[in-house]
Amino acid sequence: MPTLNERDIQTALDQWAEHIVAGASEDFLGLVGLISHGDVLARRLIDALEAKGISAQYGAIDITLYRDDIDLRPERPALRSSYLPFSTDGMHLILVDDVIRSGRTARAALETLFEYGRPARVELQCLVDRGHRELPLHPDYVAFRLEDAKGDVRVHLKELDKEDAVLY
Amino acid sequence: MKPRKDLLTIESLSDEEIHTILDSAVAMKEIFTKSVKKVPTLRGKSVLTLFYEPSTRTRSSFEVAAHRLSADVTTFTLSTSSVVKGESVHDTIDTLMSMKMDYIIVRHKNSGIPAVIARHCHASVINAGDGAHAHPSQAFLDAFTIREKYGEVVNKRVVVIGDILHSRVARSTSVILRRLGAQVAYMGPGSLVPPSSHTGIPRLRDWDEIFAWKPDVIYLLRVQNERIESPFFPVADYHHAYGVTEERLRRIDAQDISIMHPGPVNRGVELCDAAMDYRNCLVCNQVENGIAARMSILYHLTPATLS
Amino acid sequence: MTNSFITNATWAISGQKVHLQLGKAGNSVKLNADTAATDQVRGMIPAEDGNLPEGMRTIDATGKLILPALFDLHTHIEIPGRSKRECIMRAGEAAIHGGVWGMLVLPSSSFCFDNSASLDSFREAVEARSAAEMVPCGCITLGMQGEQQAPYNTLATTRDITILCDGDHAPQNLLLLYRAMQYAVDLGLTFAVRADVPALTTHTYVHPGSTAYRLGLHPCPPCAEEIGTETLLRIAESTGAKLHLQLVSTAESVRIIRRAKERGVQVTAEVALHHLLYTHEDIGDYNTVYKTIPPLRDKIDCEALLEGVKDGTIDCIVSAHTPCTPFAKKQDFINAPEGMVGLDTMLPALYTKLVKPGLLSWEELVQACCVKPALIARPWEQEEGATCEVPLLLFDPTTEMEVDETILACGTLNTPLLGETLCGKVTLPLQ
Repeated sequence: MPTLNERDIQTALDQWAEHIVAGASEDFLGLVGLISHGDVLARRLIDALEAKGISAQYGAIDITLYRDDIDLRPERPALRSSYLPFSTDGMHLILVDDVIRSGRTARAALETLFEYGRPARVELQCLVDRGHRELPLHPDYVAFRLEDAKGDVRVHLKELDKEDAVLY
Repeated sequence: MKPRKDLLTIESLSDEEIHTILDSAVAMKEIFTKSVKKVPTLRGKSVLTLFYEPSTRTRSSFEVAAHRLSADVTTFTLSTSSVVKGESVHDTIDTLMSMKMDYIIVRHKNSGIPAVIARHCHASVINAGDGAHAHPSQAFLDAFTIREKYGEVVNKRVVVIGDILHSRVARSTSVILRRLGAQVAYMGPGSLVPPSSHTGIPRLRDWDEIFAWKPDVIYLLRVQNERIESPFFPVADYHHAYGVTEERLRRIDAQDISIMHPGPVNRGVELCDAAMDYRNCLVCNQVENGIAARMSILYHLTPATLS
Repeated sequence: MTNSFITNATWAISGQKVHLQLGKAGNSVKLNADTAATDQVRGMIPAEDGNLPEGMRTIDATGKLILPALFDLHTHIEIPGRSKRECIMRAGEAAIHGGVWGMLVLPSSSFCFDNSASLDSFREAVEARSAAEMVPCGCITLGMQGEQQAPYNTLATTRDITILCDGDHAPQNLLLLYRAMQYAVDLGLTFAVRADVPALTTHTYVHPGSTAYRLGLHPCPPCAEEIGTETLLRIAESTGAKLHLQLVSTAESVRIIRRAKERGVQVTAEVALHHLLYTHEDIGDYNTVYKTIPPLRDKIDCEALLEGVKDGTIDCIVSAHTPCTPFAKKQDFINAPEGMVGLDTMLPALYTKLVKPGLLSWEELVQACCVKPALIARPWEQEEGATCEVPLLLFDPTTEMEVDETILACGTLNTPLLGETLCGKVTLPLQ
């Protein structure tokens, strides 16, 4: 099974942070991770940005209540607490997620986000693009393109899974 | 959490289900802080409130919860005169089946009626209080309120005071609190507190015993004069013997005890006026948490109509 | 004249091996207060000296028991919504299934035995349709309303009524009951009454205990029955009337009756089989099958009641057969009607639940279910010293039967035994 290891991910996050620095505007910057995994990536990116002298607000949102497939699942997923301790009005927000595939999660995330306020600008940035899009939503930045991967793509992060790896 | 159709009692839930519903209630409460206090989760689902007993508070709480989950709410109005015998419950069930409701929220003066409806309906049935039997959504909001106040329920000591005999609140709330590791005791008039051999819950005799027991929470039940056919106690005695008087409030304050009440409060009976403004009075928190707890309950039930 | 023998059966009362010549005088036993004597049984020959005549057809009944058929002192035969004819036919068939040859039929709204005409039409229908004997029980008050006395002099002298009863609810007016008893003494009538104090038991549904608390149902205090028992005993004692206490359900009631018997009060008492077998805990999650009147009580009550049966304080075990339609029992616990059916399964249930586990001997069973109830009901001509011919039945304790819809002839399914497997197969009548 081909994998990306801890060093690959570290390198990717550094480049990702560079990209954010390059694109930073006048507006206040906020990184909003999607629970779970996206929030961990957002936290790491913020740390990387701070090392480069750029400060950004941290937020995490649980998009479960906005999913469009809740009736299709045999059981209701557990809810997690969202954390958005700042007003999103007028902010430059980056939605951070681990894997984008159909685009349905990203759609739910946008809907979730907009019920907190009216940000000036929203970007979508992901660690992995898995392809197989079902909605017209495309990330503004992707660290790894694994559109040809067969089967599942799983992202493991130390904070949750004891290791940093992308399995596919 | 495995798919569950109905919520009839706390006893019927697993520990995992209790924790899941409580945890989700926290997430539900966060919705209240957003500028849009609503999520689209139950868009297109229909919720029916079927109250055979008048209750503005519980019904509104469920209705707000359903609205915040974007469900459509219908209120089924029953003139109590036409609903005397149990047969009409069966006829009502047939009507409800034809309406293709997804969730039915029932309150009835007879213990066990929601279970009868649940057995014969595809909809998820939520017991919003049946006789002196169960009131599980109240139990969740109470547990949620205590957990929010103290961070956890385990090892908290809660005295429930008043009409235990007629109280579904006492039953369901004491069950959930004990399942979550709390200690529960009862206190009230002898005619209204069944012996502890029946309840499995110790009975304290008076306020001195309560203070000696060192409770974290004092939970006062509403005196339900309207449900009591022949008098169980002299009403004039109640405040003096069992209520929170000004003097007792000072001791409650000194021991840093919280006060809870399912509402509506009879001022001057269960609680003196000052108790409502007491710093550890959680009555308003209970109301707010009731909406979150009921949203969580609605979210976690899966009607058979959907499969 | 038949020439068949049942061979090597066991006479249940003594355990003796016997042969029985079928058809001989209807294969019956004469009952009097102490019937255990085997020589009273017509057509029965002790096996050890039984030289069967040559060339007889024999039916080997090794391992099977012969005993007098049962008499049930407490049955309601009315099935809500069904015709009287069907009620009579079904109850009769159910009784024969359960080894019950005769039963006392309590008055109900359709079978209101407060006048000669209703008794006549009932007896005609029984004659035409019932496989079992049915003894009607006259009303104490007109329409069982508890207000005006029924004409029981007429009912007793012209229609052979021996027992009076107002269904499951006694007249609340104690003065009326006192006068009725005074009046009935000369007629030799027995008053069958369930002891109760309605002020304490109205809107109550279960025995006070963990189930009442857990289900939030109003408890029915046992003291109501006990106060009622004392009251009835005092009135009976004072008037000299014969009293039969129905559906005794508490341990203290048993002690009260024991004391009354010791001081010579003319009282007999019955217990329903379900009060010996089940407790309030069986109600579980509002299982309406277990809703009875009086309610199912505690284990200590079951034990005291059984003890009462064994020492004779409680004279009879009854089925308290009460058909309730599935629709009625599907309602919530508070609205559902009280009662269980028991005729169909009477002897197999008694055997499986009490005799087989060693809680009751066959001799005690015969006393409580055959001899004493028949002597209390006296379904025969009322002549001085007359005895009653009770049919015999054959019981195979090894055959198992699952209680399901197909074997319940009574017309409804409200028995907790539904789905259970019982031991015992009844052959009644013998032929």
